[in-house]
Amino acid sequence: MKPVPPALAALERALAGPEEAWIRERLDLDPAAARAALPVVFPALARRAGRAGLSGRIVVGGAHVDLGAWRRCDAVGTLLLHAADPVDDATLVDLFLRGDLEERTILLRAASVRPLGAATSRFLDEVQRTNVGAHLEAACLDHDLLVRALDGGLLSRDRFDRLVLKAAFNDLPLARMEGVRERPGAELTRMLLDLATEREAAGRPVWRDTLRLAGGAPVAGTVARVLGALEHGDATTRLAGAEALLALRRKDLAAYAAERLPREHRPDVRAALERAAAL
Amino acid sequence: MKIFEPHIHMFSRVTDDYERMALAGVRVVLEPAFWIGQPRTNVGAFVDYFDTLVGWERFRASQFGIHHVCTMALNPREANDDRVNADVLAVLPRYLEKDGVVGVGEIGLDDQTPTEERFFLAQLDLAKAHGLPILIHTPHRNKRRGFERIIDLIRDAKFPWPHVLLDHGNEETIPLTRDLGCVSGFSIYPNTKMDVHRMVAVIREYGVERIVVNSAADWGISDPLMIPKLVQALLRAGFPDATVEQLVWKNPIAFFAQSGRLDLAALDRPPTASRRETHDGNTILRGQDPDRS
Ligand SMILES: [Zn+2]
Repeated sequence: MKPVPPALAALERALAGPEEAWIRERLDLDPAAARAALPVVFPALARRAGRAGLSGRIVVGGAHVDLGAWRRCDAVGTLLLHAADPVDDATLVDLFLRGDLEERTILLRAASVRPLGAATSRFLDEVQRTNVGAHLEAACLDHDLLVRALDGGLLSRDRFDRLVLKAAFNDLPLARMEGVRERPGAELTRMLLDLATEREAAGRPVWRDTLRLAGGAPVAGTVARVLGALEHGDATTRLAGAEALLALRRKDLAAYAAERLPREHRPDVRAALERAAAL
Repeated sequence: MKIFEPHIHMFSRVTDDYERMALAGVRVVLEPAFWIGQPRTNVGAFVDYFDTLVGWERFRASQFGIHHVCTMALNPREANDDRVNADVLAVLPRYLEKDGVVGVGEIGLDDQTPTEERFFLAQLDLAKAHGLPILIHTPHRNKRRGFERIIDLIRDAKFPWPHVLLDHGNEETIPLTRDLGCVSGFSIYPNTKMDVHRMVAVIREYGVERIVVNSAADWGISDPLMIPKLVQALLRAGFPDATVEQLVWKNPIAFFAQSGRLDLAALDRPPTASRRETHDGNTILRGQDPDRS
């Protein structure tokens, strides 16, 4: 088997288990043979390698990944691609487009630890159009692929914003979109606030993390929403409001934090309010 | 009563059907690849259709708590079309390895031409190579003759009978097939062909051993609730629960489990695509809007 970089050793440890011989036989192929086998090996991964969960975190070539979302088949797929490297973008895209639900999930997880390239960009385009929750999760959660793609110039700010909006639309948690909170943007805020307004008009819950992103890049209407959230009946929304108030860093709003404080009982919300009141 | 519907074309059905089927006890649907109501003019149209069967349609079913599996094939009707037949045969090996593909089908004869026979035999070879059972579409016209011809072809190819499901049978064909050791399928339709009452009579005469029943619902006049309706009719006719369960759950599972790709434990619980939704007790939707789940 081709040596695996130390950062991927955690994936290698997942090889012990059912069908290990079948898996190792394919990992032992020389790169050209491994590449040729990908279209018939990938479809079988989920059922052969199985969906047992991994755990832990890895850092690979600047990518930060929480393996808590990974299954054994994701790890095996990633190692197979490594064994087959160099795999060109056209091959990766073909695997994705002709892949079933599981193959696409595996490719998206693998993309989070592989170098960014044209195939990554294409995968994210496909995810932008999908309704499959698992693919949206695999592309957006538990790693920093989105922000690496933004910072590395693979995603324009506009594409990044639209992906985050899609994640918000599907109620994915910001806390698991690593680094996204640190990349607020005014246009993203505008889109998120529009989504919030639409949801309210329909009598439906607003994405809980809306204000966490809005506070970092406020636009017209943000302050009113942040202040309103301080009185929300749902503690998570109040926390987001208090954090957004802090992120706004406006001395003239400190009085609103001070006014809420005596009636706030949640320690985490209080802590944020105290800091906002002290600005 | 848990129901495995072993022949239904969900591609041509609406979401209401999924919802009603789930409410009526359908836990698993098997969608055989067939034609789509009009001829396809290039192999790409087949590839997109196959992708739908292993991708989108599976996801759509899962949203209603239904497992979706399929069989893949070049159907006999389009086997006659030289614009597509050879190219479709060439892409099949990749699709026959897909997760959720538990057989080769629908193959068989429709108009009973030599070209149909050629592609039928080629697909018997593919089924052997991929270790998959076969789902056979038998002709609606000239049915008895078609059955006999298909039986001869399978026998000459030495394909193992326990891996054969001869579908769309009726009272005429069952005497031909009972002794072969294959599974006999009956498609129950609202108006034409087999109906619920005739099916109850067939079960009374032949029992449920190696018999499966399906709605074969598609874009024509057909009823995706035919199997739940048959279940009610059988129970009213006095068949024990265990007999009915064997017919609508255990028999199709036993047949398609020969692919080695049915996860029997997984079929007992609703499908999910997200590990965190089920395994961590830490759903991504916790505290969020449940009707977007
Ligand atoms: Zn059919």
